[in-house]
Amino acid sequence: MLRLLALLVTVAVPVSALANTVIVLNSDDDSMSVISGSDRKELSRVPIGRAPHHLMLTPDGQDLIVANAGGNELVFVDPSSGAIRRRLPKIADPYQVGFSPDAKWFVTTSDRLDRVDIYDAAGFTLAHRLSMPRMPSHMAFAPDSSRVFITLQATDSVVAIDLASGNVLWTQPVGPQPAGIWMTPAGTLVVGIMGSNHIAEVDPADGHVIRTVETGRGAHNFLAAPDGKALYVSNRVASTISVLDPATLSVVRTISAPGGPDDMAFSPDGTELWATGRWRSQVDVIDLATGALKGTIPVGRSPHGIYVDAAR
Amino acid sequence: MIDDLLHRLGLLQGWIFETAILPLLYAFGLMDYADDVFDWMWVMMFGGVAVIVAYLVCRPLELWRPVEPRGDRKAIRTDVTYTLVHRLGLIPLIVFVILAPAGYAIDRALMFRGIMPEAIDQYVPALADWPLVTLAIYIVILDFAEYWRHRLQHRLRWWWALHSLHHDQRQMTLWTDDRNHILDDVLQSVWLGAIALLIGVEPAQFPVIIILLRLVESLSHANVRLGFGRVGSWFLVSPQFHRVHHSLDHAGPPFDRAGGCNFAVILPLWDMIFGTYKPDRSFPPTGIRSKTARWAGLGYLQHQIEGFRRLFRALKPRRRSPGPVVEPGE
Repeated sequence: MLRLLALLVTVAVPVSALANTVIVLNSDDDSMSVISGSDRKELSRVPIGRAPHHLMLTPDGQDLIVANAGGNELVFVDPSSGAIRRRLPKIADPYQVGFSPDAKWFVTTSDRLDRVDIYDAAGFTLAHRLSMPRMPSHMAFAPDSSRVFITLQATDSVVAIDLASGNVLWTQPVGPQPAGIWMTPAGTLVVGIMGSNHIAEVDPADGHVIRTVETGRGAHNFLAAPDGKALYVSNRVASTISVLDPATLSVVRTISAPGGPDDMAFSPDGTELWATGRWRSQVDVIDLATGALKGTIPVGRSPHGIYVDAAR
Repeated sequence: MIDDLLHRLGLLQGWIFETAILPLLYAFGLMDYADDVFDWMWVMMFGGVAVIVAYLVCRPLELWRPVEPRGDRKAIRTDVTYTLVHRLGLIPLIVFVILAPAGYAIDRALMFRGIMPEAIDQYVPALADWPLVTLAIYIVILDFAEYWRHRLQHRLRWWWALHSLHHDQRQMTLWTDDRNHILDDVLQSVWLGAIALLIGVEPAQFPVIIILLRLVESLSHANVRLGFGRVGSWFLVSPQFHRVHHSLDHAGPPFDRAGGCNFAVILPLWDMIFGTYKPDRSFPPTGIRSKTARWAGLGYLQHQIEGFRRLFRALKPRRRSPGPVVEPGE
């Protein structure tokens, strides 16, 4: 226990700037793992605040926002070192966070409080607060920044909200426990149907399901390759990652990813896929050329959001 | 070593979850609860670890310097049943099914109106980087709350009716701590849960608190001739300190003022501050005078029924009488 105590106290020391920093949020430990991407070692584990789940870069790329759902705050972190720069309190239960493509709106979904908050991104001032059916979860934006689409996990549906007015445009059932949602280049939505083994392609105009594509049990989240040539789907129950052709949505291959893969990120050179393994307190590093598991990195409990910083 | 052990325990949990629990949640359409079930499974595993740690620490001490021989094994078996049923099953269930959703509902109602309850480490931002100091503050606050809950258990007639089950035991061992009526456990969970919500204890911090409380409480009930001396008695409840609380002379009615003493759970300081400390260095026999050893030897279910019977009697309207206070259950 003493070692644990000592570790908890000493890890609060800020780390120096690093190349290829990887940051992982340990949602059950209230901590942030700072990992060296090049030698795949955890350098430090820093207390960050309550229930950190997701993280994203600010539109200008200067800060990494860590959303502390339990702490009701955003923490602005140096993306290259993991050093904490400032905290923005009074952001209620920011479980998932997202900026609209035009960087005008900042949206938070609160799966604990069952609501969606739409902020004016310039000053993080609240524009609209919407009460939702249970567990609003992931989000995707229309390319023109007019609408946000949010999965409502406990009511098996997706809701479309007009960002400027805060009005709900439609709510449609899409399948059991929908989670991740992503806008395809063709302008349709794809949704990970976690309570089943498929993703659903959804029409953003009215929310009707166009078709379903089988990926793996517990289809959860999406990550598109930067070159637009592949779409990755994590399957939480099957512990696999499906690789899809984004144009046709057909499954090209399936990769094993132990530990219930959740969020994903690419290594800066694009040759590796890093995925958080929620159930095993580890990060999986997968070689994209071969699909082989190159290694696992032990981190804190229930690792969720992951960010890989490119060398600057 | 400890962090390595915790990591391995986490891997074991992950393996059980992935192979046995998650497929079930998936099959029954309960994937919404996957994260919650995963978290609470950890709390339950910690409960199990806490029991094992307490046993490994206390049992050798009991063998080393017992206060009294282990005579009534049937009564001890009842206490072991209490530990297994309540600690590993009922209490996590109460917290998971009743308290957590209630807490969420309150949070939801408050926060929709823009009221955002802040946790202690948010009032004092410097604490955010010192999780252990925050944890220590939480433990002191919760222990203070436990002191007063315990005082009320002895003060209020109906609550003593339930709590007297705990004091029936004449053969105190490391297992005795869990001998509590189920209603008493529900009350404790609500009490601690409400305070934890108020001061903002993060559920993830509970496992450490559970293990610490568990160890101190098991040790304080252990059958071991052990005191912590004049100085130590200021800081931690010892088996000797708590044995005086359980003594035949102090546990009975009329409740906490006339004779009751040493109510603290972890920090004896509360008894010293509020005038209930008894600087007695003896190891007296324990139990309630009016209750023979037979009561302690009842099986688990019989004992629970007996608790309801005592509660019913305590709640029954009494005729006004100038005579002495009659203990419920007699």
